[in-house]
Order: sequence, then structure tokens, then C-alpha cells
Amino acid sequence: MASVAELKEKHAAATASVNSLRERLRQRRQMLLDTDVERYSRTQGRTPVSFNPTDLVCCRTLQGHSGKVYSLDWTPEKNWIVSASQDGRLIVWNALTSQKTHAIKLHCPWVMTCAFAPNGQSVACGGLDSACSIFNLNSQADRDGNIPVSRILTGHKGYVSSCQYVPDQETRLITSSGDQTCVLWDVTTGQRISIFGGEFPSGHTADVLSLSINSSISNMFVSGSCDATVRLWDIRIASRAVRTYHGHEGDINSVKFFPDGQRFGTGSDDGTCRLFDVRTGHQLQVYSREPDRNDNELPTVTSIAFSISGRLLFAGYSNGDCYVWDTLLAEVVLNLGNLQNSHEGRISCLGLSSDGSALCTGSWDKNLKIWAFSGHRKIV
Amino acid sequence: GSSCSRSHSLSEAETTKNAKSADIDRRILQETKAEQHIHKLLLLGAGESGKSTIFKQIKLLFQTGFDEAELRSYTSVIHANVYQTIKILYEGAKELSQVESDSSKYVISPDNQEIGEKLSDIDGRLDYPLLNKELVLDVKRLWQDPAIQETYLRGSILQLPDCAQYFMENLDRLAEAGYVPTKEDVLYARVRTNGVVQIQFSPVGENKRGGEVYRLYDVGGQRNERRKWIHLFEGVNAVIFCAAISEYDQMLFEDETKNRMMETKELFDWVLKQRCFEKTSFILFLNKFDIFEKKIQKVPLSVCEWFKDYQPIAPGKQEVEHAYEFVKKKFEELYFQSSKPDRVDRVFKIYRTTALDQKLVKKTFKLIDESMRRSREGT
Repeated sequence: MASVAELKEKHAAATASVNSLRERLRQRRQMLLDTDVERYSRTQGRTPVSFNPTDLVCCRTLQGHSGKVYSLDWTPEKNWIVSASQDGRLIVWNALTSQKTHAIKLHCPWVMTCAFAPNGQSVACGGLDSACSIFNLNSQADRDGNIPVSRILTGHKGYVSSCQYVPDQETRLITSSGDQTCVLWDVTTGQRISIFGGEFPSGHTADVLSLSINSSISNMFVSGSCDATVRLWDIRIASRAVRTYHGHEGDINSVKFFPDGQRFGTGSDDGTCRLFDVRTGHQLQVYSREPDRNDNELPTVTSIAFSISGRLLFAGYSNGDCYVWDTLLAEVVLNLGNLQNSHEGRISCLGLSSDGSALCTGSWDKNLKIWAFSGHRKIV
Repeated sequence: GSSCSRSHSLSEAETTKNAKSADIDRRILQETKAEQHIHKLLLLGAGESGKSTIFKQIKLLFQTGFDEAELRSYTSVIHANVYQTIKILYEGAKELSQVESDSSKYVISPDNQEIGEKLSDIDGRLDYPLLNKELVLDVKRLWQDPAIQETYLRGSILQLPDCAQYFMENLDRLAEAGYVPTKEDVLYARVRTNGVVQIQFSPVGENKRGGEVYRLYDVGGQRNERRKWIHLFEGVNAVIFCAAISEYDQMLFEDETKNRMMETKELFDWVLKQRCFEKTSFILFLNKFDIFEKKIQKVPLSVCEWFKDYQPIAPGKQEVEHAYEFVKKKFEELYFQSSKPDRVDRVFKIYRTTALDQKLVKKTFKLIDESMRRSREGT
């Protein structure tokens, strides 16, 4: 039997060799990828998107939460939004009228994520209780106006950081968790269908913070983690990650597929957003802020979303900024944080309506805001 | 005409929706008001610092306690604790007998080795059997093996749970046919918390009116990156930080090269610096004083890097107080160093606790209650 010291030595040697291989891979990639999206677009004569301050305006402020807003999601069809807050509630809003249609007081108030089911009839949420709770919006409310939980998905051993329904499947949901895994659930039975990571050596090595399902091939999803990597998973083969994407130097808080499903974007505690190519694994572009003149702490990226065409990348930051990046030319075309009626705290979440005509942002200032494209830019 | 009536019915639908939305606003306001008077306390601390025991004490002291069904639910946990203990000791003896210079004293007799293998095997199983007379005989025989007793003395390097001795001394009772765990058994039982648990209580006796209401949260179940969720607790009235002061010579379960006290120091420092707690009061429990008291007579405080400048005085009771005051001062210094200058006036209290000592815990929470009232009246 090998002694502990021997094993530790072997482990150290293996780690060193992994790191050196990783470095060689990085160099090789750099050699192969002699440009980035920005430089390529410029050589192609592309010009930046120009944005007038009135092209995207705050048309509504959704007030009602008594704590920081942590998460939001739009319905695929109706213009409804569900939001989750530190006040321990989910609120369902009609984005066109600001009316609240439901308020759900949660048994565990420490909620971190929420999602609408594809049919808009139920919502899911998860948080520090390490579970994902499902509420059917058509359920009869009790005397106090509360909707009973219709199912609780338990099995994670750490907080549930994010949840998303598989497109067009009311009964399939994927969660990511502080226990370093993602799980595919059967919502009807409450059973775990597959666990991604954990025991398997190719899984994340730290908390998983976000996930995004490929809308064109719904068998594929990506997950972003505190281990500074993104991993690509095939729902049919849970035993190993299809690919691991390196590049970030901090927790990856947000990951979103690009509309074409061939690329994905990320937002991180290292202050940057990045664009990766799914198949080659190349990092195509880094979107980094100008260094702060007052030498303040670098704001971190909390949440990202792409416009319908993919030309714009919306990124929320911890200091209350919300940048609209030109995805091709890596320029900031607008900062919603500087506009009138902007949030007064960290932007914690954001998302586009399914038709792409409006953006919703949620903030630690307890409010949500609806930003609508106006003038000639109805949809970008 | 028809368009008019349609617009009328539309606006009626609209009115209903508006009324519903306003109704939701009212409900949220009511619920928020109803919660306002509740003081929220967050329990933090490194693993095994006694958070869960504090939690159980509160349930016993200020609530209805555990009913028989709840007590019974601890049976399998307690039996599992026995198997864990015996496995750690058995494996520990095997390792010590290989590496230590005076290794012969850790060699278990062949008969007992057989028992050790059998019992260690049980601990690894999901469907472990409950303790019975026969198994207890085995456990006892192994426990009484001189090599195991020698190993037990080295408990602090083996990640041996604090409940080890207590359960070993009560083996017969644990295996009785109609065994129902006692309150004390439950306090000693070790279960890993999952997720987050909360309890609402009022430290004043039930007959006294107008008692302050507290809600305590234990997040011990989240063993991951605290930075990713700590901000959810912005706005709690106070953080109760548990530090097991008896662990100054112990290493972390996850990383056997790291001293537990150093880990506690780093965690306390980190919590103090969190922006979300800038206005939060801090209550520090220097916990496991009972073990500390005994250990200090045998193991010098200076084995821990943080306390390496400690100078012992005379042995005995005086030494215990001296050492305790030294540790307390270290934590105080850390508090003032890690708090921003404009925040040093947030309430900071230190209490000497033994989470297993019901009277002491009761007294401590009454003191906390008084202090919280005073600080509230002062503002």
C-alpha cells in the first residue's frame, strides 16, 4: 500500500504535468488563433453600432420587492416576468402594465435563482435550501394568498445557483449548484435523471454558478463555475464533460449561448466578458472595461445576455453599470447605468424578452426595470 | 355601439387586474410589517465549531424541545456516530503502528483486529445495522484494547469527533431494545447540516410577556464558496460567530496540513470585512471551553502559530484563565484590526461557552437578549 507521502508526491507531479500541458495548449491556441473578433471585424470594414441615448430607454420600474433582487426570467410567449428577491418572495409581473399577477412567499427565503416553465404555467426557484421548488401558478392560493409548492426537487448538497427548463419540455429542468454539479431533473416524478460532474473526474472543481441550454440543440448545455472554467455537457452522456473552456481568471458568474448556438458568452469576477467558440474551444474575444481612473476595485460582471441577432451583448456589473457591448467590435455603445432612471445598486440579473424588443434588469436596489428599444431599433 | 361595450369590458378586466396587483402590494406590506419586530441572527463558524449544538440547545431551552418521534429519529445517527468513531480509532491505530517510533503500543491483538475489520466495514455501508447486544460487545472489546486506548489519546490528530468518549461510555444503553435517545444523547449526536436551517425563539420564559423574538439561521450545511451567498444575509441584526477554542492543536478535516484555529481566524477576519455586515453586530462564542480547560493542562497553547508568543504561568486553574484571556485578547485584536475605523462602534460581545452546557447557553442567550435590547433602546 502506498503511503500518504508517496501519494501526495505523485499528485503534485501529476498536477505539475497537467499545468504544463495546459500551458502548451494555451500557447498552441494562441498561435492558431492569430486574431480576435474585433480585429477581424475591423479588417472586414465593419463599423461599430451607433446608439443614441434614446434608442434604449427605461420605460418601467417594477417596484414591490422589499429586498435585493437576485434573479429574473421572462416567459417565452406572454410578456410576463418572474423575479426572485432576498425578501424571500417570487413576484410574477406583467411587463407591459407593471401589474403583479402573483406573489409567492417562499418557505426558504434565501432564494438565488428563478425560471419560468416553457408554457408559462409554473415557475421554479432555488437557493440556500439546496433544493429547487416548483410552483404551479394556477394552484389555488390559501387564505393568506400563498400558492402551495407543487414539487420540491432535492438531492443537491449545496445551494442551487441557477435553474433552467429544457426548451419546450415542461417536465425537464437543469439546475447548477454549489456542490460542483449540475443535475437534470424529471419535474413530474422529482427524480434526478442525470448528474453532471461530482464523482466524475471531468466535472467542475468548485461551485457551479450558472448554466445555459443551447436553444437549437437542446441536448447540449454549458455551465460556468468558481473554478474559472466553462464546461460543455451532452445531456445524453452525463459521465463526462464534452469540453472544458479555460481563459477566465475569476469565478464565472454568468454563461449564455450565443443565438446561433455555435458560441457562448461569459461574465466573470475578473471583470471581463468573453466569447468562446463551442467546437474549437477558442476564446474569440475579451470584453474588458477601461481601468478605473480612481483606482477603485474592478467591478465584476454579474449577468449577461445577447440581443436576438447577437450583435449586442448586455452585461450587468457589480457597481451598477450595465454595458451594451458591440459584440463584433468589442466597444461599449451605451451604459444604461448612466441613463436617466437607472438603478442605484448592483445589477444582479438581466434578460431579454423572447421577441427581443425589451430588456429587463434586476438590481440590489430592490427594483426591476424594463428597457425598451425605440425609434428605428425595435429589435436588435 | 359594440366597440364601446367591448372597451368597457376590457377596462373592467383591467380594473380587476389592477385590484389584484394592489392586493398583492398590500399583502407584501402586511407580511413585511409582521416580520419587522423579529431579530435575525446568523450563526457562522468553521466546521465542527458547535453551531448545530447551539441550535439544538435553543430548541430544548426556548421551544418545546424534541418530542419522542424526533428523539427516536436520532437513534440511527447516534449508532452511525459509534461506527464512525470505532473506524477512525481502528484505522488510526493501524497507521500509528506503522509510522510512530514507539509503534508497538499501537498494535491491536489479532482477535480484535478481526473485529476492527468487521466494524470498519459496517461504517462504509449505507444500510448499516442498528447496534445490538452482540455488536456492542464487539465495540466494547475493541474500545478496551490497550492499543485503541493509546490511539484515543492521540484523538486530536485523528479527526475524532468530540462525542467519541460519551457514546463509548454509554454503549449498553444505546443498544437496549426500546432505546429512545435522551436530550443529552441528541446534543452529542453529530449530523451534517444540509442547506440552511432556521429556528424562532424568545429567550425569556413563556410566562413573561413582551419577550423579544429572535430567528436564528444556521448555514453550516453550505460547504462551498461563502462569498457567493453571504450577501443574502445583509440586514441580519447580528452574526453569532462560533469559534472552538479547544481546536488550537487540531488540523482541518479537509486539509490535514492546516491548523483549525488558523482557519477560524481567517474566517472571522473575512466575515468582519464583508461589506454586507458593516452595520451588523457581532457576538463571538469562544466555544468548547470544557475541552479547552482540560487540554490546556496537557498541550501548550503555543503549538498554534497564532498563539506562539504565549507564555504560560503556573499550572492549574490559574493557567486556564490566563490562557483563555490570551485567546480572547487575540480575537479582540483581530476584531478591531479587521473592522473599519468607523465601524468599531457596532456591538461586539464575547462569551465563553460550552454548547453542551445547557445552563450556560441559557444564560448566554439571556445576556445577548439584554444587550440587544439595550443597543436598540440606545439608538
